[in-house]
Amino acid sequence: MNYTTKAYVAAALVTLSLSTAAIAAEPIKIGVTGPFTGGSAPMGVSMRDGVKLAVADINAKGGVLGRPLQLVERDDEAKNERGVQIAQELINKEKVVGTVGFINTGVALASQRFYQEAKIPVMDNVATGSVVTKQFVAPEFKDNYVFRNAANDTIQSAMIVDEAVIRQKHTKVAILADSTNYGQLGREDLERALGTKGIKPVAVEKYNLKDVDMTAQLLKAKQGGAQVVLTYGIGPELAQIANGMEKLNWRVPIIGSWTLSMGNFIDNAGKNGEGARMPQTFIQDPNTPKRKAFIEAYQKAYKIDRIPSPVSAAQGYDSIYLLAAAIKQAGTTDGVKVREALENLSTTVDGVVTSYNKPYTHDDHEAIKPNMVVIGEVKGGRVILAK
Amino acid sequence: MEILLQLVFSGIALGMIYAVIAFGYQLTFATSGTLNFGQGEALMLGALVGLSLVGNIHGGPYLNYWLMIPVVIVFGALQGVVVEWIGVRPALKIKSEFGWIMSTIALAIIFKNVAENIWGKDDLTFPTPLSATPFQVLGANVQPMQVVVVLGALAMMLAVEIFNRKSIYGKAVVATSNDRDAAGLMGINTSMVITFSYALSSATAAFAGVLVAPLTLTGATMGTALGLKAFAVAIIGGLTSGMGAIVGGLILGIAETLTGFYISTGYKEVPGLLLLLLVLAIKPAGLFGKTAIKKV
Repeated sequence: MNYTTKAYVAAALVTLSLSTAAIAAEPIKIGVTGPFTGGSAPMGVSMRDGVKLAVADINAKGGVLGRPLQLVERDDEAKNERGVQIAQELINKEKVVGTVGFINTGVALASQRFYQEAKIPVMDNVATGSVVTKQFVAPEFKDNYVFRNAANDTIQSAMIVDEAVIRQKHTKVAILADSTNYGQLGREDLERALGTKGIKPVAVEKYNLKDVDMTAQLLKAKQGGAQVVLTYGIGPELAQIANGMEKLNWRVPIIGSWTLSMGNFIDNAGKNGEGARMPQTFIQDPNTPKRKAFIEAYQKAYKIDRIPSPVSAAQGYDSIYLLAAAIKQAGTTDGVKVREALENLSTTVDGVVTSYNKPYTHDDHEAIKPNMVVIGEVKGGRVILAK
Repeated sequence: MEILLQLVFSGIALGMIYAVIAFGYQLTFATSGTLNFGQGEALMLGALVGLSLVGNIHGGPYLNYWLMIPVVIVFGALQGVVVEWIGVRPALKIKSEFGWIMSTIALAIIFKNVAENIWGKDDLTFPTPLSATPFQVLGANVQPMQVVVVLGALAMMLAVEIFNRKSIYGKAVVATSNDRDAAGLMGINTSMVITFSYALSSATAAFAGVLVAPLTLTGATMGTALGLKAFAVAIIGGLTSGMGAIVGGLILGIAETLTGFYISTGYKEVPGLLLLLLVLAIKPAGLFGKTAIKKV
């Protein structure tokens, strides 16, 4: 520590002791990371906008611990290496108290290590890979700093298989998954879930991001006699699948992970995307006063009618409330204390997705349980509750 | 049999997309011995400019689909002139062997970033006047748009060939590509011819852009992967032959769809690259290329 820094510290201490108002004004920094550009952008942008709404709400009511929340936003472009850079920057340079975000499972898996090492809680509010919250578990790690409020792939794949096999009574299924971490981990979950029903898929196919021709994959599914296509991927390529089916003049239902609700799938697939079904924690449907207020606030703040990815927006919004409740309960912004508070939340957090009543324990860092997830369906360019 | 036919049809449509871009590489290589590594980006810019004219993203549609095509071609030509002027001409002037490689790549990155700022990074749909409903040919399904891609690409390459063989300006192009120095001595303004070949090459790419956009989704990143595949096609077919571009494109397109179906979709890209290595090892000038003898 050189003289200047010492002088600063001394000055800061004097100011702190002299005026409590100065402490009150110092904001609590929270990192927001997600892809705000590229194929995953509808999720990232909706998440960020939901987070911003929650922060505005909380600050309007006086903030947390008498201090306002301040967001530090970073675009990770859905790239693992960018995510790692951002994690280090947010922790070491920005000194965030906690971070919310992660849309892409791969980015989450690459970046979380730094939060774990720095003992700073990170709230995964969209990425769904089953392993995301299990990266740092006992006995190897005493405490886990990774929390999630999104429906993980174990829950989702079971729901997808239930929808295809039990509700729609299909016995021949094909799986199309992209070659990213997200797609391949999801494909494993799907195959496992199908296995419990004694079903072996007739085709398991892979495709790369930006592939413009899905003929080979779809033909294999078609030749296998598939009655339904199960998908694990993101918007633009899912649209290529739906459009590719039209190219082959082959129509079977599409059931897949929650990403089938992305705006860029619905828009780019158009009528070919109609009827696609997916698990959803939140549907843009004002069926409770809390949801109505949230949807109206979102539409007003960002001047749009359809939220690009309602699930991400709602989960992003809730993640800030969960984190804020924990900071309030801990009475400090210290990472260890905030983690302990999250694991023993004594107040019920009234979120948009659900009312979180003791969402986390020391060994369970998943806030979303299977009973909170519903099946959505694409209809008329929107996602509605499937009947 | 129907399966094979279906795969071949899809492969042909895909291959023709590669072929048009590969054709653009050849146009500039013939006259100046240089390539525009931003060929994929020229395609992307053409598609996005077209989208702004006929889509509703920038307050449009401003133009009818068919009227948009000539506008896009003119835009592409101007863009090619800019590339030649900034990136290639200085390198040719100082007789730099490789300067143009870096500068065309640099320009490609700049174009991509500019496009991301204007049109965003998201993929958009390209409206088309044609129905997407496929019709049957011998039991396989074909979309009208796929036919348009194949016919459009062939027509365009044919037009350029006829121009080169029949018109006096085309003869200047051929003369320049045969021997630049001799053509210069005969009074042909060879640097003008080179500029023209860049304009032509980017114009064909821009036209290809609006052709394929309805099939591929449009976005700032669409050019990179296509440009790279087309480069492989140009090498396989030979950098000095228009026929090579078509055959190379068809080989790569069909190889991709067939491997995807009969071997594994995970290995779809492999045969194309193997073929590329094989051609380079056995016939470096490409399947249809003429071996150039370089006098030192």
